[in-house]
Amino acid sequence: MTRKEMTPRPGIVPVGDSTRKTPCIVMTGTSGYSYLEWVDSGFYPTGTRTAEMLSVYGRSFSVVELNYTWYQMARSDALTRMLAAAPANLLFAAKLTRTVTHERDEDWRNQVQRYRQGISALGKRLVAVLVQLPPDFTRTIANRQFLAELLDCMQPLPTAVEFRHVSWAVDSVFKELERRRVTLVSVDEPDLKGLFPALDVVTNPSLFYVRFHGRNRQGWKHGNMQKKFDYDYSNAELQQWCEQELNTLAGRTERGVIFFNNHVRAQAPRNALLLESLIRNRMGRERP
Amino acid sequence: MNQRFVLHLNVADFAVAVERASDTSLRQKPVIIAPLQAARAAVYDMSEEAYRDGVRKGMLLTRATRICRGARVLPPRFDMYRRAMGKCVAEARGYTPLLEYGSEDGHLYLDITGTHRLFGAAPDIGWRLRKRIRGKLDIDPIWSLAGNKLVSKIGSRLVKPVGEYIVADGEEQRFLAPLSLSLLTELSSAERQRLAEFNIARIGQLAALSRTQLFSVFGLRAETLYDLSRGVDGSVVGPEQAAAPRVEREHIFSDDTADRAVLQAVVDTLAAELGMELRATGKAARRVGLQLHYTDGSAVARQASVRIGVCDDRALQNMARLALQRGLMRRTRVRSCRLIGDRLHRRSTQLSLFDGAAVDTRREKLLSAMDAVRRRFGQNAIRTGSQALLN
Repeated sequence: MTRKEMTPRPGIVPVGDSTRKTPCIVMTGTSGYSYLEWVDSGFYPTGTRTAEMLSVYGRSFSVVELNYTWYQMARSDALTRMLAAAPANLLFAAKLTRTVTHERDEDWRNQVQRYRQGISALGKRLVAVLVQLPPDFTRTIANRQFLAELLDCMQPLPTAVEFRHVSWAVDSVFKELERRRVTLVSVDEPDLKGLFPALDVVTNPSLFYVRFHGRNRQGWKHGNMQKKFDYDYSNAELQQWCEQELNTLAGRTERGVIFFNNHVRAQAPRNALLLESLIRNRMGRERP
Repeated sequence: MNQRFVLHLNVADFAVAVERASDTSLRQKPVIIAPLQAARAAVYDMSEEAYRDGVRKGMLLTRATRICRGARVLPPRFDMYRRAMGKCVAEARGYTPLLEYGSEDGHLYLDITGTHRLFGAAPDIGWRLRKRIRGKLDIDPIWSLAGNKLVSKIGSRLVKPVGEYIVADGEEQRFLAPLSLSLLTELSSAERQRLAEFNIARIGQLAALSRTQLFSVFGLRAETLYDLSRGVDGSVVGPEQAAAPRVEREHIFSDDTADRAVLQAVVDTLAAELGMELRATGKAARRVGLQLHYTDGSAVARQASVRIGVCDDRALQNMARLALQRGLMRRTRVRSCRLIGDRLHRRSTQLSLFDGAAVDTRREKLLSAMDAVRRRFGQNAIRTGSQALLN
């Protein structure tokens, strides 16, 4: 780690113990940042327009997951302009566009190429491309072949794969991801049948990637995002997660990103800040 | 000013999209929508494949089929397009009451400002609405999101025939700058011409001009041009207004005709039907509109109005004939005509003080008797002499 990386930055905590030469750099953030609701909820100051949100966000966090690249193909001109307005410390994870993952057609290989060109503007500030696969994407032969080809197409970009279906939770999948140095996304979500479970499996020593979706069991199956991602993690829940998962993930990787997706009423940034403080306290306690 | 979110949904080649939804064999093939039996029929709509071959709206069908030989040619089915548009609107209404749309053109604006607490982020609404329309109607609309109608519409034109476009807050001017002036449909052809004389072809070039420079050339329009070039548009997405009450009847000729006597007989019959409906509901119309659809796909609309509403067959027929006289300017055969009575009000029941009252009463009794006969034995059971030609 360079001296520059050691200077305190918002949303970053070095996690490690005396047995490690260099600590794992853990960064907390949120899935998306452009929510007018966060103005109503007080995370952004009153009157903040969406164009100003990223710079305000950067005062609290050093990494953000870009959601809109899922809705719309990434375009380098738009991302270049976004970077110009973003704080210099901010890093980005970018969701792969839906026309490759959720609404795939025969043209998907060209879509991947267009996406790669689009996000090239992020350069070294790209932490990972998030390949989020839909719940009906089960572990069939055709889907395995597709995923293998997709991951080939993504090389050498840092890539993280989030499965939603439980059928992918098998050792052979983890081994293949490990061979490819692709990160398996650890998820925190409602404990529902058929969903991919919360695991602390590390498949890429360079990066761990965690997504907190909330544990709203009733809202999860609802089509409305405002219900699905309406959950406020308690101090105890996050504390428990730190104790059970963080050490395993951070102990085997150089860097980790943790995103909160429970955006409703600005619960995501609040929970992200809470988790950061919990990790910081924990590190303080463990320091000799 | 509060930040606005305007979603523009556009179904490219709407008529073709609706036809394809009802007949999947039309997919991936060139399709032209045009009246089939007319000698000089014009293209009403065409698919992307036919467009790429050079077919354009309004082009003569004979020419269109020559340059796009493999095209399937279908007659327009306006009622079906209207119904499909109605279903799209019904889906959109679930997200906002602020809607603006055409009757059958596949364009729909939604002002979703302030809906984030109910439905989440604005791009998600665009995506979900598209998904629902695609799932329910098998039609794939383009959606574009921006801070106003002007920019969202231009966004959707850029991705035609499929896709989506999000113009972020504050990005409007930079987004428009490299685009052609032809995308600013608010400019008149004279303004376009004038700008071309100054060698201005891009919106960014127009935006580089100051208000003073624009004023010296365009006078009072300078301010509008200044705003348009910067993507500023304060126009509201109209609150959806309930359709004004109206009564209407349509006649489609089995054989297209240009015979004035036959057309007049049809118009008289339609007027009598309107009159019967108006009397049954206790209403009177102050305006009668006539839409003539010609055999070549073109259409004309004319109207006639009076100060005090009428429901008498004869008065309605006189107005309808006047509208026909005004509208029948071509020798081309007519495919269909639609008669619309609107500006309705309740019939006055106040009695007249003078002599005409007795005549009015007799006339009302006659009409009432005719209505009774028609209700019992059908609309054609009793007719006036002018309608005899329809036999």
